[in-house]
Amino acid sequence: MKDVYILAIESSCDETSIAIVKNGNTVESFTVLTQMDTHANFGGVVPEIASRMHTENITMVLEETLQKSSIRIEEIDAIAVTYAPGLLGSLLVGIEFAKVLSLVYKKPLIAVNHTIGHIYANALENKLTFPLLALVVSGGHTDLILMEEDYNFKILGSTMDDAIGECFDKVARILGLKYPGGPNVEKLAKIGEPTYALPKPVNDSSYNFSFSGLKSHIINLVHNESQRGNEIRKADLACSFQVTAVNELTRKVEIALKNENVSQLIVAGGVAASGYLREEIKKVADKYQVPLSIPSMKYCTDNAAMIGAAAYPLFLQGKYADFSLNAKSNASIVSE
Amino acid sequence: MYTLFLDTHSDKIIIVLFKEKNILVKKEVETQHNHSITTMPILESVLKEAKIEVEELDQILVVNGPGSFTGVRLGVTIAKTLAFTLNIPIRTLSSLLIKAVSFEHDDVTIVEREKNGVFLGTFNKKNELVKEYHYLANSEFQNEEQMVEKVVIDYEKVLIFAQSLESISPHAVNPLYVKKIEVQK
Repeated sequence: MKDVYILAIESSCDETSIAIVKNGNTVESFTVLTQMDTHANFGGVVPEIASRMHTENITMVLEETLQKSSIRIEEIDAIAVTYAPGLLGSLLVGIEFAKVLSLVYKKPLIAVNHTIGHIYANALENKLTFPLLALVVSGGHTDLILMEEDYNFKILGSTMDDAIGECFDKVARILGLKYPGGPNVEKLAKIGEPTYALPKPVNDSSYNFSFSGLKSHIINLVHNESQRGNEIRKADLACSFQVTAVNELTRKVEIALKNENVSQLIVAGGVAASGYLREEIKKVADKYQVPLSIPSMKYCTDNAAMIGAAAYPLFLQGKYADFSLNAKSNASIVSE
Repeated sequence: MYTLFLDTHSDKIIIVLFKEKNILVKKEVETQHNHSITTMPILESVLKEAKIEVEELDQILVVNGPGSFTGVRLGVTIAKTLAFTLNIPIRTLSSLLIKAVSFEHDDVTIVEREKNGVFLGTFNKKNELVKEYHYLANSEFQNEEQMVEKVVIDYEKVLIFAQSLESISPHAVNPLYVKKIEVQK
């Protein structure tokens, strides 16, 4: 079969990224322009500024991606773009940009769900082996998903309140750490010990998660200690929090591996970049002798290569979008 | 010689296709914050009606604001991407300038209204900007005699005026926001 090249665009948050991906599994060329330093000045992503920077930079990111590629844009088979979920203004820049490429080069347009993109980031380095269990962990997601085949998603469980990434960010703020919170909590946790006794989030055997109780407990603990004039051992608290939160993830993964027929365990989403999570998940996978896939760091954070990978099954099915495609801030993966 | 003019700075999307100096196709569509759903389909229909392919376009004119942030961003993104991929010249005009060039005047302050306030710009007889663009909230704004708000845009005059402007690199084409956002204050 002839090779399929997809040019993919990702602009759902604060990264402008374009990639050319071959057959949904090989990255030909790949550029990510992050706005993290700009948003760090404001303590978090400012949506209007994120949208402005996408518009400023997107044609330059395309130029760089094409310069690095041996494939000419005329040889591309389809244009893929993240349409949901994410910041509306940011998504719209990528979407309109993608429509113009589709018009000019007369290539089909493919709309990709960002969360599904994170799952398919795994296809860039490993072959997806079904049925697989996916743990999706990010600022907006904490899901355990069973996949029988491409684009077949059965959600076993989800967070009932905060997403794990959101919880890391909030704890970072309580501890006075800078944006981005998650990586800074992990850095601090490295020099701490898990000496604080924290409540287990949801001590049940369901597949659901809950992190708001853990977060509230930490807020109260820090507040009460400062009322009493006691010093908080920040590194120890960061470490205790990380151990408790990640343990909750691995505990539920373990229940799923016990109960479900699974040929592969994959981890997806921004929090998959956490070194501690990677180590702990590996222990569980090894215990149950299930092959494990976690994307390398560059494909864990937001990137267009994963969008190109997730677009490939849609290309094979001929599922194209038209020029009325709009951005959506929320979208369930089950309906895709 | 085909020129594409694109204006998405307000709730009315306007796309004009010129052949030489004359309007070949003009479409105006009201949207309710649905720029993304409507703009590219309108562009497609304009090309279809004119029976030309997109690669036959020779230059792009785009209104780069001020106006609706999202609306302007959408039009500018479409316009700069067209210019970059087709490798054709692009020129920007402000939403106030297209009003100013549409009628004869001496020094004049043009008013462009949005929901919560107005954008103002003062032009001389030759349509050169003599006072920087600025934004006033409705509560701060008082209409004065030499101000002009309602203008019927003369697109053929806009095209002639645009030819006197320098074309710019598509990478450097950006919206003119004028109004500050919260974190900038």
